[in-house]
Amino acid sequence: MATQQPLTNLSPLLIPCSYLTTEGNKTGSWRFLRPQYEEKVSPCSAACPAAEDIGRVEMLTAQGSFKEAWETILMENPFPGVCGRVCYHPCEQHCNRREFDEPVAIHILERFLADTASRYELKPSLQKLESKRQKIAVVGSGPSGLAAGYFLTLLGYQADVFEALPEPGGVLRWGIPLYRLPLSILNQEMAQIRELGVQIHCGRSISNEFLRGGKSEYDAVFLGCGHSRSLPLKIPGEDLAGVKNGLQFLAEIRRGEALALEGTAAVIGGGNTAVDTARSAVRFGAKVILIYRRRRQDMPAFAEEVEMALEEGVELWELQAPVKIEAQDGDFVVTLQQMQAVDKDGQRRARVKPDSNKNKEIRVQHLFKATGGEASEPWYAPPKKQRGMLRLSNCVLLHKSREPTLVYGGDLVAEIKSVAHAVASGKQAAIALDILFHEGLDAVLPRLQTCLVGEGPSISLETYLGGPRSLRNNRVVRYHDLNTDYFQFAPMITKPRLLSEERFQSFAEINLKIGASLAIREAERCFNCGLCNQCDNCQLFCPEIAVTRDNNPRGRHINYDYCKGCGLCVVECPRNAMIFKEELLCDRS
Amino acid sequence: MRQVLEGSHAVSEAVRLARAQVISAYPITPQTHIVEQLSEYCANGTLDARFLRVESEHSALAALIGAASGGVRTFTATSSQGLALMHELLHWASGARLPIVMAQVNRAMAPGWNIWADQTDSLAQRDTGWVQFYCENGQEVLDTTIQAFRLAEWVNLPVMVNLDAFFLSHTYEPVDVPEQKSVDRFLPPYKPRFQLDLANPCAFNQLAPPNIYMEMRHNIQMAMDEALTFFEQMEEEFESILGRRHGALEAAQCDDAEVILITSGTVTSTSRQVVAKLREKGEKVGLLKIKLFRPFPVNMLRERTASASKVAVIDRNFSFGASGIFAQEVKAALCNFPGHPPIYGYVAGLGGRDITTEVIEDIYWLTKNSTAPENESSWVGLREVDHAVGES
Repeated sequence: MATQQPLTNLSPLLIPCSYLTTEGNKTGSWRFLRPQYEEKVSPCSAACPAAEDIGRVEMLTAQGSFKEAWETILMENPFPGVCGRVCYHPCEQHCNRREFDEPVAIHILERFLADTASRYELKPSLQKLESKRQKIAVVGSGPSGLAAGYFLTLLGYQADVFEALPEPGGVLRWGIPLYRLPLSILNQEMAQIRELGVQIHCGRSISNEFLRGGKSEYDAVFLGCGHSRSLPLKIPGEDLAGVKNGLQFLAEIRRGEALALEGTAAVIGGGNTAVDTARSAVRFGAKVILIYRRRRQDMPAFAEEVEMALEEGVELWELQAPVKIEAQDGDFVVTLQQMQAVDKDGQRRARVKPDSNKNKEIRVQHLFKATGGEASEPWYAPPKKQRGMLRLSNCVLLHKSREPTLVYGGDLVAEIKSVAHAVASGKQAAIALDILFHEGLDAVLPRLQTCLVGEGPSISLETYLGGPRSLRNNRVVRYHDLNTDYFQFAPMITKPRLLSEERFQSFAEINLKIGASLAIREAERCFNCGLCNQCDNCQLFCPEIAVTRDNNPRGRHINYDYCKGCGLCVVECPRNAMIFKEELLCDRS
Repeated sequence: MRQVLEGSHAVSEAVRLARAQVISAYPITPQTHIVEQLSEYCANGTLDARFLRVESEHSALAALIGAASGGVRTFTATSSQGLALMHELLHWASGARLPIVMAQVNRAMAPGWNIWADQTDSLAQRDTGWVQFYCENGQEVLDTTIQAFRLAEWVNLPVMVNLDAFFLSHTYEPVDVPEQKSVDRFLPPYKPRFQLDLANPCAFNQLAPPNIYMEMRHNIQMAMDEALTFFEQMEEEFESILGRRHGALEAAQCDDAEVILITSGTVTSTSRQVVAKLREKGEKVGLLKIKLFRPFPVNMLRERTASASKVAVIDRNFSFGASGIFAQEVKAALCNFPGHPPIYGYVAGLGGRDITTEVIEDIYWLTKNSTAPENESSWVGLREVDHAVGES
């Protein structure tokens, strides 16, 4: 091999190169569009009747800050343990991630946070406002009443909750079966409400006079009395001995009075009570037929519950209207009229009409009516429109001089009867009363308007109190607003559940717990739409190094001396937590 | 170790052996196999490099300009339309004196869409300040790509290694893949002469007013001159370590040749057969392969063609309004050389049409039997086409 001469390169190299600072070149003067940090509203939080700040809750959960995440929920909803279990989670319906792969399992995370708080016996550090002189009575200790008491107490008022039955909880205690909501969870969250300072008086019926007493010690009364009486079917035989109504059956189970059911049971109705009754009857040994006059997709019951009922062996007979009930040798014979749906294309549930004379009979050993309820006293429900009355989205406020202001809430005013709506009702009532006491009746509507999350009707207590949430732009972030290049496909967590064979043997809770690592992984799937999670893309992409991290409350600062308005930060923000505004339209304060 | 390799993968192996540190590319047929293999090497850890996926060829080269300014060894690959999209940044890379290496698969420009072999894409980038090589076979592609890094880093100019679409990029041949340690001896780690450095902040490539711009351009030309000299030295070193050399020009049987065929790329291999066959018949024909196109080896070309009575250039490319581009270059190189042979230009094989032994033999006989070139370019094998648009 030849010896190599070392090769050397000595020729000069000419390229432009400068060691002078370029700080004198204030490129910010080129800018005609200005990027700004501006958080917006995530669609889940706008869809949540209780206006939970879900995007932020998941961000905190992903960071492992479980207590802060839990308290963020408590700011808007005293029942994360209950709602994480029984809510029909409209949030997930509106989750932007649905368009990417699958929605975030928000309800599972909500339940995880509540379970974790309970496991470690965490005490929320919620600040009550300074005490006010007004006192408010709450009639009914269902979710709306307890929520009203909770939010009024947070706002500094004394709230006394009156419950006619010996134990509090209303429909949560008597109407929701244990396999969906274990009693310990309910008791724990009610204890927390008590610890906050809400007085709950059980076994105290309230009379109509209580509302009108001119000398009442209360400045206002919230009525959240719920549907304690079933609606009649208005068919012959419905009052035969042994025909039960669903709510009554569910309450009997909770009191430990229900007996085993042999043979076949028919449940008439299509709402959540009907489905709960059917599934409970399965657990008491009956073969169950659920009879509904419309189609399955028209059922007001939550779809997931219907699905599980069918898994557990409940048979669903659609388009069957009972027309007559007869007693025969201790059994019931129900005559059913075949129905047919009309105007199927509409968004609302279809109307039905009888399909000629097609009738059939069914012989059953047990019969339950569950076709909806009504107030057990007419004065529980809001009266006709009159002076001083405000119809709000989730409650009705009736203001009279010299008498306590009445606020009607809960299921009796709600269009959708859910726990989350009941919470929304209690919250709206509390905020409305606070506005009324401070600023008068005329201020109620406009002030509530400023607390809307997105376009409403959900309202946020944090926004009302001027917390960080109130600084957000109220625009709801949609899927096309996101830069999804930064997200990776990841399927939704598998919901751990009892097998259907295990379910009908007991009232054990069906949905099982998940661990912290799974919860964090699921929370990391959240896009945190509209919220800054400090991902640093803005800083990374800024060609002028004009984005700096500092002590700014938002953690970021744009140096407008050098920001030339290229907009890269805004485009590369995955979650639409920035905006790009024409310089001339900017508020430079 | 000898392996049966696709031409594209000969490039990939060379880049792996060269230990490129940043690779950025956008896929385009017929280049894709090159970076596909490299992306796998990056993903499985065979090659310790960052593979940047980008949204266009323009960005691919822009990303490498950034990376190379940071002082690392960089590689990209493209073809045809992709190269055209890089055009602005081709100038930038050479002006900024960045030793970026690119594999460029010669493919026809659209329209009409044509993915087959044609050199017009890279020859149209002749004046962008890139060193350009044209390779004949898989072995030469592998060797030249390794050499390209050495040369680029020596003269601080970007280097483009060209290979014909499909005829070379998608053809499997036995290729000797050298040992890593041999390549490491030939190509030591890159030591940049300048780089962005946080400890010593500076800005590159800002305004160059008239009082300095011209000197900078001249400096690039000086580097091109140096590349020509350095190439010879480098090949010697390469040969001493790896036992092969290819030459900036390769003259085969040119010493006594009356007619010299000048070729580039894969058509050279076919021409070798034709020359052998004609020599058997007693024809005095030689073959001159041009591998190094920029810088153009003018003096070498003059020497190798001095004794011939005719030169025939085969171009798989064309400059509209003029002639085949290699023919132009040969004419330009020889015109000031008194007594140079007449230059016959032939255009063949555009858009991947086969240049068969018959076509090359025709070119030889046409040249031999002609007294003087009748035009700047003769188009060989044009077909009658009877369905033009717009005819009634």
